[in-house]
Amino acid sequence: MKLLPFKTWISITGGVLVLVALGLGINQAAAANREVQDAAISPIHPEFSMLDSDGNNVLDSGLPVSTMKTCGACHDTEFIASHSYHSDLGLSEVQSANPVTGESWDASSGPFGHWDPLGYRYLSQPGDEFLDLGTPEWVMTYGLQHIGGGPAYLSRTGQALTSLPAQASNPETAAINPQLGRAVIWDWEESGIIEMNCFLCHIPSPNTSARQEAIGEGLFGWANTATLSGTGIVIKDGSGNYLWNPEAFDENGELLEENITIQAPTNDNCSTCHGLVHGSETPLVLTGCSLEYSQTARTGQVIAAAMISDSGMNLSDKNSLARSWDVHAARQLQCVDCHYSLNNPVYYRESDSTRPDTLIFDPRRIDLGDYLERPDHDFARGQSAQSNLAPELKGSMRRCESCHHSRNIHADWLPYTDAHLSAISCESCHIPQMYAPAIESYDWTVISIEGEPKSVCRGVEGDPDTLYSLVSGFTPTLLPRRNIDGQQVLAPYNLVTTWFWIYDDANGNTRPVRLIDLETVYLKNGHYRAEIVKEFDADGDGQVSELELTLDTSAKQELIAARLVGLGLGNPRIQGLVQPYSINHGVAGSGFAISDCRACHHEASRITQPVRLAVSVPGGVLPAFAEDTNISANGNLSMDESGALFYTLDPITEGLYIFGNSNTAWVDWVGGLSFLGVLVAITVHGALRYLQARKSRKSQRRLTHRNTRKLYLYEAYERFWHWLQTVLIVILLVTGLFIHRPDLFGISFRGLVVIHNVSAAILAINAFLSLFYHLASGKVRQFLPHPYGFFDDAIRQTKFYLRGIFKDEPHPFEKSPEKKMNPLQQVTYLGILNVLLPLQGLTGILIWGAQRWPEAAGLVGGLAGLAGYHTLLAWLFAAFIAAHVYLTTTGGTGPFDSIKAMITGWEVTGEKTVRDISEPQGKKKK
Amino acid sequence: MPITKKPFWILGLIGILLIIAAPVVVFWPEERSSGNDPADFIPEHAVHVSHADIVQGPLETPQDVTRACLECHPEAASQVMQTSHWTWESREFTVPGRDEPVTIGKANQINNFCISAQGNQKSCMSCHTGYGWQEGQAYDYSIQENVDCLICHADINTYAKSNYGNPVEGVDLLAAARSVRAPTRENCGTCHFNGGGGNNVKHGDLSETLYYPDKEIDVHMGGNDFLCTDCHWTENHQILGRLVVDNYQIEPDEQVSCANCHNETPHNDERINSHVQSVACQTCHVPAYALDEPTKTNWDWSTAGLNIPEDHYTYLKIKGAFIYEQEVQPTYLWFNGNLDYRYLLGDIIDPSQPTLINDPAGDISDPNAKIFPFKLHISKQPYDTGYNHLLAPITSGENGYWTTFDWDLAFYLAEPVTGLPYSGRYGFTTTYMYWPSTHMVQPAEKALQCDACHGDSGRMDWEELGYPGDPIEWGGRFQP
Repeated sequence: MKLLPFKTWISITGGVLVLVALGLGINQAAAANREVQDAAISPIHPEFSMLDSDGNNVLDSGLPVSTMKTCGACHDTEFIASHSYHSDLGLSEVQSANPVTGESWDASSGPFGHWDPLGYRYLSQPGDEFLDLGTPEWVMTYGLQHIGGGPAYLSRTGQALTSLPAQASNPETAAINPQLGRAVIWDWEESGIIEMNCFLCHIPSPNTSARQEAIGEGLFGWANTATLSGTGIVIKDGSGNYLWNPEAFDENGELLEENITIQAPTNDNCSTCHGLVHGSETPLVLTGCSLEYSQTARTGQVIAAAMISDSGMNLSDKNSLARSWDVHAARQLQCVDCHYSLNNPVYYRESDSTRPDTLIFDPRRIDLGDYLERPDHDFARGQSAQSNLAPELKGSMRRCESCHHSRNIHADWLPYTDAHLSAISCESCHIPQMYAPAIESYDWTVISIEGEPKSVCRGVEGDPDTLYSLVSGFTPTLLPRRNIDGQQVLAPYNLVTTWFWIYDDANGNTRPVRLIDLETVYLKNGHYRAEIVKEFDADGDGQVSELELTLDTSAKQELIAARLVGLGLGNPRIQGLVQPYSINHGVAGSGFAISDCRACHHEASRITQPVRLAVSVPGGVLPAFAEDTNISANGNLSMDESGALFYTLDPITEGLYIFGNSNTAWVDWVGGLSFLGVLVAITVHGALRYLQARKSRKSQRRLTHRNTRKLYLYEAYERFWHWLQTVLIVILLVTGLFIHRPDLFGISFRGLVVIHNVSAAILAINAFLSLFYHLASGKVRQFLPHPYGFFDDAIRQTKFYLRGIFKDEPHPFEKSPEKKMNPLQQVTYLGILNVLLPLQGLTGILIWGAQRWPEAAGLVGGLAGLAGYHTLLAWLFAAFIAAHVYLTTTGGTGPFDSIKAMITGWEVTGEKTVRDISEPQGKKKK
Repeated sequence: MPITKKPFWILGLIGILLIIAAPVVVFWPEERSSGNDPADFIPEHAVHVSHADIVQGPLETPQDVTRACLECHPEAASQVMQTSHWTWESREFTVPGRDEPVTIGKANQINNFCISAQGNQKSCMSCHTGYGWQEGQAYDYSIQENVDCLICHADINTYAKSNYGNPVEGVDLLAAARSVRAPTRENCGTCHFNGGGGNNVKHGDLSETLYYPDKEIDVHMGGNDFLCTDCHWTENHQILGRLVVDNYQIEPDEQVSCANCHNETPHNDERINSHVQSVACQTCHVPAYALDEPTKTNWDWSTAGLNIPEDHYTYLKIKGAFIYEQEVQPTYLWFNGNLDYRYLLGDIIDPSQPTLINDPAGDISDPNAKIFPFKLHISKQPYDTGYNHLLAPITSGENGYWTTFDWDLAFYLAEPVTGLPYSGRYGFTTTYMYWPSTHMVQPAEKALQCDACHGDSGRMDWEELGYPGDPIEWGGRFQP
């Protein structure tokens, strides 16, 4: 390369240097423009020193920090630790059998003791033949999602763990040695115990991975100290020991303010265990349904302020999802705004049931200082299905209606608002869809080489763990939930189905098969055992693929059972369990909530849609619903042709009546048959009369009328009233039919209801005015049958209709302005106008006002009962109209005389006579 | 057969139908209406009348063209001459510290981009809507034939301007004159998108992308193909919309406002509607400017004149070093539509502080002020170290800085032109200029959401704005 002249080099170097200087200079100027984002610091917490469990400054002793002693210098840590179910997790409930489920393998109803088939390791109890999780190993596995204290601090009998005599047979002091495959003693003195870890929730960035590491290595005593890694207060040296950094402390041994910030818990703190809670700086990306984000995995809930359309996931139809993942997160609500500490004077609100009626708000509350000294760490909570821990606290949190005017918002567009609000929870419509995958089923009857179950994620197509799989999300399952106040409402859940082997041990306890045993049965040296491959390998490639790893034949089932027996596990069998997980977060803003009535009030209602529980049923064992939940699941389990298992809610067994979905079919049958029957009868009758008339015209001796004259029978008002009533009833019947079966007709439902109600109101007014008229004028007399001779007349009239009319006999009853109706007519009209019409009107009014007068409506079976009566009566009315219109053709001298009379008021009457047309006209016999 | 001849029963039938129909109509369920339809406010576009046969040649000079236009549109030139497109000055203002009223405009004031048009008419006037504005002499504003009709009305493919505002050599004036129609985005954009010497240099929210934008760039011009005049309503050549960098007070009825077409509170959500009293529409609906093309955010004149590699986006010898940025988050200030201060030639500066060329008026206690997004342009431009005022160099022309690279000479030559005394000593000082961001409006789904401003990741500096803290916690400014 030819060298450039020297001058050029100088210029280029100078230029580069200048450019660098420029860049820095311009950056300085630009920096003035950029806003400095200060971290939100609350430096009001006084300085304090770190104390170890003996109460000495850690700088002197080098021992791990004791939160109970350090924070306990000012806060009542004993109170806190004993008032925290996050810490307790069921320790206080540990007993030999869970009274709710009766399942003997549940030691409590909390994570310490309750069998979680997703995590699969269970807490062994004293007297178990085989040890799965002893307390030490429980701390090492589940302890990652435990805040310390409780079972990591005290034994099941309430003593300090370090004081227990170490025995290999005591699950509290034993752990399985993986190499030996059996239980060995755990030395609590050496490992230490974990106190309730204040730092996890009360500092901005607790180092959970360092804490996990310490716990995973069994260094329980250092777990709380490890949480402070990264703050500069404590440093790990080369050999893995934690050393306190004197630079972080002042000369009095107290922590320097800039090294630690004590604050109220933020969403980030809660999400370290309850995940997924996501901030807005980066697009949200989530794949698969791993238990790393336990809440999201079990329910599909994502709590993030960002818009779903801004996420980085491959979501179906993402651009249309211009809504936040959770509207409350978007509005900057924090977890603690709803899940507050129960004695927090800011949030505390007395329960409506204990507050006197005269008091809207009781302003007395504890002093802030008292609260800070003894904050109750039992947090307000909802009524979730999956946790029976601290059941007395269920329903203590603010619900939607604590903050929102739920009635006002819906009253202007949702019919029967109160009925809806008392039958369905807010979440049912306001969490219409989940947009993250969630666990559908875990099959622990088989095991993969990595020691994982066969799992299926709901809401994603294809391999859930890659970003390219399409996430379509899923619709939550609506199930009836019994609230603590006894009310039953529909609420959304994700149903997680698991299958696992259980066995009876030598002491008669039924236990789930331990993970270690399952691995022994299937695997050897990290590969499937030869006999497993032989049995499961269907395509003969020498491998057991994911598709082949399923117990779909009895041979496979027996093989595994036999191997389990060989390990000493008696009576191994498969058990299936369906667990519902509550969905309460991920709320959609109002524009995206369900507002289409047909989502539920339709044949394909989302309440009665089958939900897939699993793609296959191992061993053909149908799962049972978990019994210790507050939901009711009396629906149907069914399988389709591919072997997938579905659950369908049955409204009848749950005592639900869903308009547009549930049908009292017999009402339609009876009414429809009556109507059809009448139609058939009048068709036959009319046909016969028509034939008769034709015969007469053809013959010589023809039927005519003589002495024909006109009578003014019907006054103007009578006619007006009659026809108004006719039109109204026809409109009511037609609109009623559409309202009865809205899915058959696509007309505006609301409009039809308006027409129906308006017509009914006018009909009622019309009826009252007419009643008044008839009573006041005395014309009501014409409707009242003469008691003397009534039956004779009625029978005579009936005979005429059935026989005489075909023989051209004269009408047995002569009309006159004073007497216009034959006895049959009188009786019929009386019944129609004074019994059926009022009944129909009354049922209609109660349907319309079911919300206003719920007790009255309830007397006759509520809306469901009322609808039945109303429909049946409507059918009868329809039948009446058909018969009535037909029978008007039997009056007067011609078939349309009576109708014309009702229009004009004048009826043509005459005597029937038979005339021989062969005779000349002039000689008419009089 | 009825005895009465007249069919009275029909009256009864009509009565029945009315009795039923009337209440049904009254009670019929209403669709929830969302208020007015903004499309109703778009001015009607005039029917295009093709001038292909109307305009007759020959048209030799640009003034010939204007005379031809004035034959049928005699008022047009005098109308244009009343506007700031012609005068390049605002109307007069009295400002403190000055005895006489002053005007502000490109004709007589400076900015912190190319600094001054005075004395640089050769290049700067290529965006004047007139012909022949030369340096060295006062411009005769009264000559009607010098009004350039074509730049706004001709098809921009047929016409372009160059030195002193005269048409480019070789332009077929007759073809241009025959192509006239109502102005399109191309007419306005040919000058307004290229201010500051290049595409999107100056405003940040006006770039050539707006010729054919899609909906995500600008929902009005992209999604709905709006012309500039659909918002900048024009009557008798008086175009609504005043640029706040060149005015002290702007009358509201001279200004374009979203509320001209849109309901003041169009949101379904009450909470968002309550923001309207403190947050301008643009703040949420213009989340960023310079969406497609980068815009200049820094200009360091002090480094001009070096012989180092040049690049349009980083360094040019004639101009100095720059920083361009794209998708820039605006600077947010309280703004009531006016300025508190506008730098006028001769004003004394404090060289140790950044000088504000314009200072938007408004603060948290001003009920007419709302939080508004601005582009902040930071420059380092020359000032007189003796007199402590900013200097306006002569840059174009044969003795201009862009030819001689001699600042001294440029300032000496500027003295008689601008009237600014030059002490012979110059330095460079930092200046700030705030340009409102109001174009590149996003569709509603892309507007800022709550967490964009509130919460830990919010973009607002609440304390800077005068709030004690995030108003989502502390409450807004009008609450007790």
